[in-house]
Amino acid sequence: MSTYVYGITAGSHSSLPEELAGVGDPARPLRTVEGGGLTAIVSDAPEGLRPKRRDLLAHQTVLSEAGAGGSVLPMRFGSLAPDDDAVAQVLQERAEHYRERLAALDGRVEYNIKATHNEEAVLYRVMSENPELRALAESNRRSGGGSHEDKLRLGEMVAQAVQRLESTDADEVRRQLEPAAEAVSPGPDSTGWLANVSFLVPRDGSARFVEAVDEVRKNNPHLELRVNGPLPPYSFVEPGPAEPARTPSGTVAAEE
Amino acid sequence: MSVVPAQQSGGGGGSSGLYDVLELVLDRGLVIDAFVRVSLVGIEILKIDVRVVVASVDTYLRFAEACNRLDLESGPNKSTGLPELVGEMTESGARGKSKGALSGAAQTISDAFSQARDEGRGEESRSESRPRARRAPARKKEESE
Repeated sequence: MSTYVYGITAGSHSSLPEELAGVGDPARPLRTVEGGGLTAIVSDAPEGLRPKRRDLLAHQTVLSEAGAGGSVLPMRFGSLAPDDDAVAQVLQERAEHYRERLAALDGRVEYNIKATHNEEAVLYRVMSENPELRALAESNRRSGGGSHEDKLRLGEMVAQAVQRLESTDADEVRRQLEPAAEAVSPGPDSTGWLANVSFLVPRDGSARFVEAVDEVRKNNPHLELRVNGPLPPYSFVEPGPAEPARTPSGTVAAEE
Repeated sequence: MSVVPAQQSGGGGGSSGLYDVLELVLDRGLVIDAFVRVSLVGIEILKIDVRVVVASVDTYLRFAEACNRLDLESGPNKSTGLPELVGEMTESGARGKSKGALSGAAQTISDAFSQARDEGRGEESRSESRPRARRAPARKKEESE
């Protein structure tokens, strides 16, 4: 039976919380595998494991709980080793590297931010800033909505203005939150967000980061920010805090 | 267990907050080449609705429709939810660094938008929680004055 691997912790990592359920149905009990002075959190791998929501959540919960007790390198979901011995061997062979990563991420958590526009507020803002659009909308309205072409023309101009704002706001969100984080990592490519960014934050700096998010919200009522954290540092395990928070690509720190 | 500030999850619906995390579980995290990964075909996670603006005829028509519903000439008397909205926008205009001051024209537009908001309320289930939360204090303030 193959071995499901959740994450890697330092050898000194304290014991796992009792009753923590692993992946599978019924949930497989957790155990640890040691090697090279490190400890891997593992369980049996259920036959035919699929990325079902329950299993993804089990993976996430195990790592969150384990991370509360010390630094953990979270594995990506679905990592299977042939057996426990193979896990121990990997730990031994790469102990130095993993120890370095664990030290680098010690006491740090990930916060993921996703931003969307409040469409209503954005239209409002776009119209208020653009007399040409207002005139066009007014002209359409006077002629009972305008022709199909009129509508398309207005709609296209509005859409372009909103898209420009999406791009500006994406940069803004990142720029305004960077100072409260140690590292930044773009989130996985997914649609639906104008910004999807993860930040590496010291645990004891979490309050400051959350305050910074609130500040962005307050200053940008047309933005809706979704905050998820503290999370295991998924986005910073490899090669770690790669990018210093102060060197964003293409954005220049503007004076406040 | 050292739990740092209250877990923050999502900004609106709890279920999509879940999605936000699962996405990271699936796409980020340590990968070890000596291990294999389970197939990700047929992922059973929540789908999200696309809200970023996509250039398409549908989008254009939708925006045009939203704009056409605006009555740019009508005064504040036409809308009930107005004072709150104007107050909110004026406030944010003053706070925001680069928002610029709202002109009179912009305020007139706000009338129209608040009207559009009322009309479109039924469709706006996702984005409602925050605006509503923001309006609540303003309302309270008015009552106390």
